[in-house]
Amino acid sequence: MAFFQMNFFSEALCFNTDINVFIPTPNSDELLNNKKSDYFKDGYKFQVLYLLHGAYGDYTDWMRLTSIEKYAQEHKLAVVMPSASNSFYQDMFRGSAYLTYLTEELPRYVQKLFPVSTRREDTFTAGLSMGGYGALRLAFTKPEQYCACASLSGAIDICDVYSRFKAGEMGGPFKWEDIFESGSPEGTDADIFLLIEKLKKEGRPLPRVFQTCGTEDFIYASNVSAREKLEKLGVDLTYEEHPGIHDWDYWDTHIRRVLDWLPLKNDSVKEEA
Amino acid sequence: MAHIDCSFFSQSLNKNAHVIVYIPTTSADDYLGDVKTDYFEKDKLFPTMYLLHGSYGDCMDWSRFTGVERYAQDKGIAVIMPSAENSMYLDMKHGEAYLTYVTKELPEFMSKMFPLSRKREETYVAGLSMGGYGAVRCALERPELYGYCASLSGALDRSFLKSDEPHAAKMPRSYTAAVGSDEQEGVDLAELLSEHVKKGTELPKLYMACGTEDFIFPCNESFYKKAAELGVEIQYEKYPGVHNWDFWDTHIRDVINWLP
Repeated sequence: MAFFQMNFFSEALCFNTDINVFIPTPNSDELLNNKKSDYFKDGYKFQVLYLLHGAYGDYTDWMRLTSIEKYAQEHKLAVVMPSASNSFYQDMFRGSAYLTYLTEELPRYVQKLFPVSTRREDTFTAGLSMGGYGALRLAFTKPEQYCACASLSGAIDICDVYSRFKAGEMGGPFKWEDIFESGSPEGTDADIFLLIEKLKKEGRPLPRVFQTCGTEDFIYASNVSAREKLEKLGVDLTYEEHPGIHDWDYWDTHIRRVLDWLPLKNDSVKEEA
Repeated sequence: MAHIDCSFFSQSLNKNAHVIVYIPTTSADDYLGDVKTDYFEKDKLFPTMYLLHGSYGDCMDWSRFTGVERYAQDKGIAVIMPSAENSMYLDMKHGEAYLTYVTKELPEFMSKMFPLSRKREETYVAGLSMGGYGAVRCALERPELYGYCASLSGALDRSFLKSDEPHAAKMPRSYTAAVGSDEQEGVDLAELLSEHVKKGTELPKLYMACGTEDFIFPCNESFYKKAAELGVEIQYEKYPGVHNWDFWDTHIRDVINWLP
């Protein structure tokens, strides 16, 4: 893997922002152990995963707290890790336009600067906790751009998280009144289930979803009800639950399940001209 | 500019390489001033300057001590800054193959990774001090790759290593390790230049600048004289100045302005 830490000016955010990027290139392990190493070629591109952090986190989390580089190298998958502050992956009412940044500006920059595929079938999102919600928010906001998304211990049912927050049952750094004009996600496109209903009415494609959560996670009950709602809406859903809590052991283990589930070619890809 | 800090496994160095890259993207200035930029036009490939650090330095030097990001943004060029230890940008006799890395693996890797022009007239190499030597050495290694080459305060011949000079004791020990001896093949720039002249090679356009109070100034004078004797044209600029970042920050702008 080649590892890139990139800083650039974002028009959507109106400030400089950082991303970490992995692009598959031959490493010493592949050369020493005679593994496949002929994939970094002129004119070839890589399938790409946009990998989202959780609340309190940033673009460095996945690289620091998991071995995502090793897993992605095995699959010859490019990985892009942006920062979204505690925005809950929205265009904030008082704050920056993170959803626009992530679904419009960032893909444009990444596709221009790095050898990543622009095809829907090669483009994926995944994330943990707030980013587990974010993965679905991005994919269902631009369903023509992403073919699959994965949520690990995700706050998929944002309205449920919001009401638990308001009832004092759940903590978090979210300033709801800054994120949403009405102070609540209810009745907006931020409600993933409403968003999916809208897409269905418009006859637009629905990305496939992978959902996993630890059975001892504080967000487990919310995931069980989110699963029912997604299934009722007819989403192509792969659901898993395993013993575990809301921690990096769970995410480091189960991001590998996500990579096994994604439609990966395990090689670089050639885009049609 | 996108500022990209790159690490990757280099097969010619047999270890991880660290490179800093600038690629033109919309700046806050562009955004505020409604400057029309075509950075993201389809199939747009950027002219590219490989920019080499001096002894004691690394790939971060140019961005830390100069405004090269701003100058390159104004010109609309990408900048690639590799690390080469104190190798003189040579394939070291005892050490890593930096000449191979910088002239072969790096351009191939970077042009596969980023939207960079592969045209000779849009590929440049420049550097300061040891990197000034490196720029000319790279240009003479692959004259078909680089259209333009610039040396700032370059260590263009080995006279500055003479032991009676006060700075000589402070030179990196690897200089001698790098080359084995003064007479080793492929080290002396004037000699390489003369071979190319004999073969009738089409050379990159050459530029050199040096401070007249710089301890390395005599090297620049003697190299220029030898090149002139060979009939090789070099744009040679001399300014008051010493061997420091004030000089390089000022004159890297001249280099960028000199580029097409």
